[in-house]
Amino acid sequence: MPFVRAITGLNRLAFLASAALLYAIAPAMLIDVVCRYLFDSPTVWASELALLLFGPMFLLSGPYVLHLKGHVAMDVVRRALPARVERLVELLNFPVIAAFCVILLWYATPLAFESWQYRETSFSAWNPQIWWTKAAVPLALFLLLLQTVAEFLRTLIEGPAPAERVVTPSGEASR
Amino acid sequence: MTETLGSGAILAIMFGGLVLFMATGLPIAFVLGGLSLLITVTLWNADAVVVLVLQIFDTMRSEALLAIPLYILMAGLLSRSGIINNLYRAMELWFGRLRGGLAVGTVVICVIMAAMTGVVGAAVTAMGLLALPEMLRRGYRAELATGTICAAGTLGILIPPSVLTIVYAVTAQVSIGRMLIAGIVPGVILAGLYILYIVVLSWLRPEAAPLAEDHRTASWRERFAALGSLVLPALLIVMILGSIFFGLATPTEAAAVGVLGAALAAALERRLTFEALSASAIETTKATAMILWITLGAKAYVAIFTGLGGADALLDFIRTLDAGPYLVLGVMLAVLVFLGMVLDEIGIILLTVPVFIPIVRFLGFDELWFGVLYAVTIQMGYISPPFGYTLFYMKGTLPPELGMGVVYRGILPFFLLQLLGLLLLLAVPGLATWLPTLMLR
Repeated sequence: MPFVRAITGLNRLAFLASAALLYAIAPAMLIDVVCRYLFDSPTVWASELALLLFGPMFLLSGPYVLHLKGHVAMDVVRRALPARVERLVELLNFPVIAAFCVILLWYATPLAFESWQYRETSFSAWNPQIWWTKAAVPLALFLLLLQTVAEFLRTLIEGPAPAERVVTPSGEASR
Repeated sequence: MTETLGSGAILAIMFGGLVLFMATGLPIAFVLGGLSLLITVTLWNADAVVVLVLQIFDTMRSEALLAIPLYILMAGLLSRSGIINNLYRAMELWFGRLRGGLAVGTVVICVIMAAMTGVVGAAVTAMGLLALPEMLRRGYRAELATGTICAAGTLGILIPPSVLTIVYAVTAQVSIGRMLIAGIVPGVILAGLYILYIVVLSWLRPEAAPLAEDHRTASWRERFAALGSLVLPALLIVMILGSIFFGLATPTEAAAVGVLGAALAAALERRLTFEALSASAIETTKATAMILWITLGAKAYVAIFTGLGGADALLDFIRTLDAGPYLVLGVMLAVLVFLGMVLDEIGIILLTVPVFIPIVRFLGFDELWFGVLYAVTIQMGYISPPFGYTLFYMKGTLPPELGMGVVYRGILPFFLLQLLGLLLLLAVPGLATWLPTLMLR
C-alpha cells in the first residue's frame, strides 16, 4: 500500500524533526538561565524561543505516535473480544479520530490563516512573528487525519495491529 | 443551549460516551477530544469550538508544561549515563554486610534516582537488572526483592521533580514549586517506612534476607572511594531542588540545567553517544506527545463539562449531602484508587482535578495537601495489579523462573505501607504543608 507507506513515512519525518527540536529547546532554555543567573543579563529571546518551539514539537509528533500506538488507551475490554469483533471495533474507532480532526480543522484553520495574514507577533520585548506556531495546529491535525486514514486502511487490509505498546510518563515503552 | 436537550441530558451523554468509547480501546486523548467536539457541534453551541482552539494555543504557550519534556529528556540521558551502576556498586560496598542490606540499599538508590529524575521506569528497570539478580543469588525471598524494587521505584511520583506532580499543579492551578517541595517529606517518610519494614522483617525472619557466605568486607578506603559516584547526583539534586526551594529559578529553568547535568554525567562516563542522544530524544518525544495530546483532549472535555454546569451541579449535590468533609474526601480518594486500576494516571489527573479542586476548596482543605494525597494514591495505582505501570517494568526484568504471582504477593505489604503513609498524611496534614511554608516565595 504505497499510500499508507508514504503517509507513515511523512509523519515519521515530522516525528524525528520534533525529536531533534528538543536539542534546540533545551539549549535555548539553558542559554537563558546562564545569561540570567550567571551573567545577570537576561536574554530577550532565548526562553521565548524555547516556548515557541514547544507547541509545534508536541503537536507534529502526535500523528506518528498514533502509528506507534503510543497514545495510551484502555484496551482490556477490546482485547477480550473475539478477533473479528475486535477488528470491527478498531475500525469503528478511526472515524472518531477523523471526526476530531475534521471538526477542529474547520475552526482552527481560519484562526491560523488570520494570524498569518496579520503576520501576528508576540508583542514581547523580542516581538518575533508567531503565526507559524499557530499554523502548526491545522498542519498537525491534517497530518493526523492522513495517518488516521492510513491506519484505517492498514487495519482493513491486514487486520489489527500486533503487540500493543504502552508509553508511560517515563517515556519508555513496555508490555 | 439547544431547546430539545437540557444540560443534564448532555452531561449524561458525555459521561456515558466517555465510558463507552474508553471501553472500545480508543486512545484516551481522542475519547476526550472527539467526544467533546462531537457534543459541542451537534448538541451544544458549535461556535464554542473556537474557544477550544484558543485553549490549544494557550497550552502551546505554557512555560510550566515545557518542564515535562525537559525532565523526561534528563531522565533518558541519566539512565544511559551509567551513573546508576556506580551508585549500585557504592551501595553494595556500604550495605552489603547488613542483614537485608541490599533491599535497604535499593530503597536508598531509588530515592536518589527519584530526586534526580522524577520518572518511574528508569529506577525500576535499573534496579530490576542490577539489584534483583544479586538479591536472588544471595537467597533473598523473591517476594521481598521484587516488592522492594516496585514500591521504592515508584517514589519518583512523590519525590520532586515529578512529571505527574507538574501536571497536577498546572491543572489545579497551584504553585508548581510549592507543590514539588510538598512531596519531599512524605516521600522520605514512605521510604523510611519501607526501610523499617525490611529491617524488621529480616531481623524477625533471617531466612527472608540471608547474608552471603562468600561476601568479603570491603575496606574503608574502598568504601569512601566508591562515594565519589555520589558527587554528581548530589550536585544535581541540590541544584534542582535548591533552586526551586529558594525560588531562584522556575522548575522549567531548573529542568534545563538538569538536562545539561545529565549530559555531563553521560559525557564523563564516555557514554554521550549519538545513539544515547537520539534514543533519549525519541522516547521523550513519544511520551511528551502522549501527555500533551491527552492534555488537549481533557481540557476540551472539562471545558464542556463546566460550561454545561456540571461542576456546579456536583458542588450543589455535595452541599445537599451534608456529609462530613472527611467522608467526602475519603470518597474522592476511593474514586482515585479505583480509577488508578483502570485508567492512565495522566488522564485521571486531568479529568478529576478540575472537578475535585472546587470541592476541596469548598470543604476548606489545603490544595497542596490534597495534591500529596493524590500522588500517594497514584503510587498505589502504579503498583496495583493488573494495570500498574511499575508491574510492567518489573515484568520486563524478571528472570524466566519467576512468575508475576511472586510480584503480586511481594507488592502487598508495600501497598499496605503506602496505605499507612496515606493515613499518616490524612491525620497530620503538616507533614505535607510544613516544608512549602518555609520557601522564600
